[in-house]
Amino acid sequence: MADHGTLEQRLAQQGISRRAFLKFCTAMASLMALPPGSAAAIAAALAKAKRPSVIWLSFQECTGCTESLTRSHAPTLESLIFDMISLDYHHTLQAASGFAAEKSRTDAMQEFYGKYLLIVDGSIPTKDGGIYSTIAGRTNLDLLQEAAKGAAAIIAIGTCASFGGIPKANPNPTGAVAVSDIVKDKPIINISGCPPIPAVITGVLAQYLTFGGLPELDHLGRPKAFYGETIHDRCYRRPFYDQGKFAKTFDDAGARNGWCLFELGCKGPTTHNACATTKWNGGTSFPIESGHGCLGCSEPDFWDAGGFYQALSMPATPLTFATGAAVAGAAIGIGVSLANRAKKSAAKKAHQAATLDDLEK
Amino acid sequence: MSASLQKGIDVLKEVIDAPVASFFASCVHCGLCAEACLFYTETDDPKYTPIHKLEPLRRVYSREYTLLGRLGKMLGLSKPVSDDELEAWSELVYDSCTMCGRCSLVCPVGNDIVYMVRKLREGMAVSGHAPQGIQEAVKRTIEIGSPMGVKWPAIQHVIKDQEAETELKIPIDQPGVDVLVLMSSMEVINYPEYLGALAKIFHKSGVTWTLSSEASEATNAGIQIGVSDLAREIVARIVNAAEKLGVKRVLSPECGHAYMAIRWEGPNLMGRPFPFEVVHVLELLDELRRAGKLKMKDQFTTPVTLHDPCQIVRRGGVLDAPEPLLRQVVSDYRPMPDGNKWNWCCGGGGGASSIQEPAAEALRFKAFQVKKRQIEASGVNTMVTFCSNCRIVMEEAVDHYEMKTQLLGLTELLAAHLED
Repeated sequence: MADHGTLEQRLAQQGISRRAFLKFCTAMASLMALPPGSAAAIAAALAKAKRPSVIWLSFQECTGCTESLTRSHAPTLESLIFDMISLDYHHTLQAASGFAAEKSRTDAMQEFYGKYLLIVDGSIPTKDGGIYSTIAGRTNLDLLQEAAKGAAAIIAIGTCASFGGIPKANPNPTGAVAVSDIVKDKPIINISGCPPIPAVITGVLAQYLTFGGLPELDHLGRPKAFYGETIHDRCYRRPFYDQGKFAKTFDDAGARNGWCLFELGCKGPTTHNACATTKWNGGTSFPIESGHGCLGCSEPDFWDAGGFYQALSMPATPLTFATGAAVAGAAIGIGVSLANRAKKSAAKKAHQAATLDDLEK
Repeated sequence: MSASLQKGIDVLKEVIDAPVASFFASCVHCGLCAEACLFYTETDDPKYTPIHKLEPLRRVYSREYTLLGRLGKMLGLSKPVSDDELEAWSELVYDSCTMCGRCSLVCPVGNDIVYMVRKLREGMAVSGHAPQGIQEAVKRTIEIGSPMGVKWPAIQHVIKDQEAETELKIPIDQPGVDVLVLMSSMEVINYPEYLGALAKIFHKSGVTWTLSSEASEATNAGIQIGVSDLAREIVARIVNAAEKLGVKRVLSPECGHAYMAIRWEGPNLMGRPFPFEVVHVLELLDELRRAGKLKMKDQFTTPVTLHDPCQIVRRGGVLDAPEPLLRQVVSDYRPMPDGNKWNWCCGGGGGASSIQEPAAEALRFKAFQVKKRQIEASGVNTMVTFCSNCRIVMEEAVDHYEMKTQLLGLTELLAAHLED
């Protein structure tokens, strides 16, 4: 873990050719919507980049984010570049345990104070002093606050760390909160998703290594390059939505013809993520391609946002409803107008010609 | 005396009709009417927003004629319109509204706000909330025949004077003539030369005409205070006299509200079409001009500007006569900004000029500032108009602001330069 040599050297040791490396850089540049010329700049910068120290803290989580990153892609370049950072502390991946593991964390925090990158997955319980999740006898809250102090930046990976995620779902028994609810004085990038797309994680890391800064973020702290558009806007089923062709059940003709899953509860229209363009499993597909609507997992409180199979909004059966409303409206209208006519003519009948006496009290 | 809140509310219930309902329902609260009202633009006080002046009427409409309003009334959720409220609104409905109709003209959804002010005044009047000045004018009109208390002998006096001035006979109670000429009391008292001017012009152009000893007053204070029953009585005098004399036409004098009263409200008040035609004096003069019967011997060379009276031009529809007539007699006409149908009111129409309270008077002067700016923008010191009420109100304001502006009546100006 102490080897902080350049990335290019490490890649060569791992048998990754320069050609493969350049391909990766081009892919990153296009993913981050950078101009084509920047691929060379990324390559130059990455090749020279020293492995930054990274401390990965896992709190109330399911390890799905780590799984997403390491398993689904191994042994592709994305996972390798992740290997190319100096991952000085990571529960799941580290070989060490017990006091040795904790020591490597405190050592890294001391040695690279102010420079290390802090990655967090999982939400932080705050209820009852945060006792619902502890590591080595210390609460997550305590660990986060300690580690955040010396961090150059924090990357909140997954919806739990970004927005509280499933632990925060109603009734939120542990008082779970997001990293940004605790840490206020450090730059935080939220890479939401349950789990997030691996290429998005590596893309943000590549950006950090190349330009030394944070990417442009949206109002929820997510990199705009990946979260700038909705799933719906980039969905290959969008033309069916525009034509009003909707699957009504998961096995009807519409579903088989690949029509829009809006009425089956797809949250694509309100979900910002890169699934529809980057896709999953090495670019194989994304949930909608498998015939299931988007759950909206990269949005805050997605677990409590109504049922997964409930449409975002439903037009009422238009004709029946409109006819009913028209009939009811007309009936009320006729009733009111008859009453009004009666009242007005009564007022007319009661009219007594005004005289000069009527001008004064 | 027998005015009461109940009478007021009952009358409002009676006068609310389909147009009122649709106007209230379609108001989009854009506030354009405020910008169109001189009482708002000159004070910046939002209470003078025209649609706001109608709040009591809107409340009665809502409580009596809308579903939600009725529910609210039944459940006691809304308060009824009170005497105090109407008293507070008196200033908004009378002092600060001249019924000039600029608000109705600008309303983007076509709400005729003046139409509703006229209706709200019906309720205000019989609940005893009309200003005293207008009440007295109405009383004098009903009892004496003129809002200013002018009696027939006074008119006879003016007739004699003008006959001596013009050396022309002024006909009285002559049946079968073309035109029955009406006067406004303001003309009798302040501008008697109007009568002489008509005598000259009609003599020259061969129009046969007469005055009536039974109906000479053209103005209608009943409309200004908002009591249709009284307004009907006043307009009926003219209709009866005109029918008795069998004239073809009744000539409305230069007064603006008189034209509104006889030409537009009159037949509705009487509930039948008139067997004669009502024309404004300018319409008749323009007709003569177009027929080549109104030739000038010379022209008035002083630069002049023109004030278009609201009730004749914007609301009355006499849009095309004033300018050609003016150009007939003046050589240097300088139009003022916002002329013709967009003109700004003198500040004293709709009965406002008969309200004597100091606050109302001060407000009138304040509202006149817009006219003052218009006059200044025209860059001249002589302003022609064709409404005796506008003329009196503006002369007072000109004195108040110590301006040099001189006011002239168009009919007199034409007569003064008429070919011999």
